Amino acid sequence: MATPGHLEVRNVSKTYAVAGRPPVRVLSRVSLDVQPGAFVSLVGPSGCGKSTLLRLIIGLDREHGGDILIGGQPIEGPALSRGIVFQDHRLLPWLTLEDNIALALENARWAAADKAAAVRDHIALVGLAGFEKAYPHQLSGGMAQRAAIARGIVGRPEILLLDEPLGALDALTRVRLQAELQRIWRLERITMILVTHDVDEAIYLSDQVVVLAGSPGRVATEIEIGLPRPRDRASVEFVALKQRILAAMGEDAAQRPAA
Amino acid sequence: MSNTAEAIDGSALVGRAGGPARPARRPRPTQPLIGIILPAIIIALWQVAASLAWIDRVFLPAPLTVVTAFWKMLTKQNLALDFLASVKIVGQAFLYGSIAAVGLGIAAGLSRKVEQFFGPTFDTIRHIPGIAWLPLIVLWLGIGAPAKVLVIAKSVFFPVFLNTLQGIRNVEKNYIELASVLTLTRWQLVRKVVLPAAVPSIMVSLRYAAGLAWALVVVAEGLSGLEGLGFLIFRAQGLLLTDQLVVCMVIIGLVGFAIDRSMYLLQRRVLRWKQGYDG
Repeated sequence: MATPGHLEVRNVSKTYAVAGRPPVRVLSRVSLDVQPGAFVSLVGPSGCGKSTLLRLIIGLDREHGGDILIGGQPIEGPALSRGIVFQDHRLLPWLTLEDNIALALENARWAAADKAAAVRDHIALVGLAGFEKAYPHQLSGGMAQRAAIARGIVGRPEILLLDEPLGALDALTRVRLQAELQRIWRLERITMILVTHDVDEAIYLSDQVVVLAGSPGRVATEIEIGLPRPRDRASVEFVALKQRILAAMGEDAAQRPAA
Repeated sequence: MSNTAEAIDGSALVGRAGGPARPARRPRPTQPLIGIILPAIIIALWQVAASLAWIDRVFLPAPLTVVTAFWKMLTKQNLALDFLASVKIVGQAFLYGSIAAVGLGIAAGLSRKVEQFFGPTFDTIRHIPGIAWLPLIVLWLGIGAPAKVLVIAKSVFFPVFLNTLQGIRNVEKNYIELASVLTLTRWQLVRKVVLPAAVPSIMVSLRYAAGLAWALVVVAEGLSGLEGLGFLIFRAQGLLLTDQLVVCMVIIGLVGFAIDRSMYLLQRRVLRWKQGYDG
C-alpha cells in the first residue's frame, strides 16, 4: 500500500547523450526505499551520480529508466511537496531574506497571513530572526545557507533534498549547521535526503547511509546507523562505521586517521 | 531553544564567519575637495593666459568676461529659453527612446522570434548614425523640435535595447532552475527572476544613453533649428562672440555632469541589493 511521503526509487537508470560520443551512463539500476520522516544520506566518489539522482527526485530531469514513486505516484516535474537546498545558497540577490523565503510560497494555496507567519517562523527556526530585511550579500556563507534551508522547508514539503548543502562552508560552520539540521529535522519531521562527500556528516545525521559506487552509479551498500543521537564523532562505534563506509566507497580506510 | 537564543546564535555565527553583517549602506568616505583642485588650476591658467594675452582676446575671453556674458545672455537675451528648449528635447528623446528600448528589449530578450523579427532591421539602422538621419528627417518634420527628438531618441534606443536584451539573456541558469523547483509560472519567472537580473545591465545603458542624448542635442541644434544651446554655440562662432561660445560650452559641461551624477544616484538607489556596487 502507498504511504504518503514514502519514496521509492526502483531500478532507476540514467544516460546522458553526448554529441559525437557514445552515451554516458550515470546511473545503473539504482533502488532506494526511504520511509517518511527518515534521514538518508547518499555518499560516494565524485561522478557516481548522487546529484543526478537528486535532480531526478526533485523533478528537474524527467528522462530516466525505472520508476521514482512518492506515495505510490510517479514524479511529474517539480512540486511544492519536495524542497531542495543546493550547494550554493542560490538566494536571489535582489530579494531580501524574507522575500527570498516567501518566494517558495508564491504558488502555495495558503492565506497571505499564513504565508507571512510561516516565513517569520522559519526565519526564526534557522536562527536568522532580525535579518529579515537583509540582502543576501550582507549574509555570511553560513547564514545564507541557513536561509536556503528555511526556503527549502517553509512550504512544509514531505521531502527535503539536500545537495551537498554544507560542502562550501568552513569546517566550524559546517559542524554547527549539521547540529542545526538535525534539530530542524526532528522538529519538522520532514524526510531528508542528503548528498554529501563528508562521511562524518552522513553518519552524524542519518538513519541510513547509502553508499554509491561509480561509474555508472549504483548502490554499493546500505548501512543502518543505529547510534543514539546526538552522536559522538569520536566514539568507537562511530569510527568503526566510518571505516566500513570508507571501505565500501573503495577508499583505503586503513590509511585514514581515525577521527 | 528560544527564538532569542537562536537570534543570538545567528549573530554569533556572523561574528565568527568574516565580521558582522555590514549595514545596508556603508557611508562612503567622500573627498569632494580633491575634485575641485583640477578645475581651479584650469581656471587659474585660463586667467593667466587671458591676462598675459598668450592668446588673442577675440579667441580667448577672460573668465570674468565670460561671467559677464553669461549674465547678459540670461537677463537681456533668451538664454533660459534656449536652455529649456535643449532640455526639453533631450528629456523627451530620452524618455521615448528608453521606454521603447526597454520594452522591445524585454520582448526580444524573452522571445527569440521577436529578436529574429527585429534583428536584421535594427542592426542595419543602428549603423546609420543619428546625425546622418537628421537631414532627411528635417525634410520631413521641419527644423523644429520633433526631428531632433526623433533622431536623439534613435541614438538612445540602441544602447538601451541591446543592453536590455543582453541583460535578460545573461540570467544565471541556476536561478532559472531554482524558479523551476519553486514551481514558478513563466510570468512569475519573468517578474521575480529575469527582469531583476537584467536591471543592472539596463541601468548602465540608461546612464550612458542619458549622457549621449545630451551631447547629441548640441550637434542636432547646431545643424538645424533656431534655438537651443547648440544653436547658440554655432551662432556665437559665426559672430565671433567667443565669450558667449564659452558660456554655452560651460553650461553644456555642467549639465552633462549633473545628468551623469543623477543617473549614478538613481543607479545606486535601484541597485542597492548589489554587493559592493559603487558604479
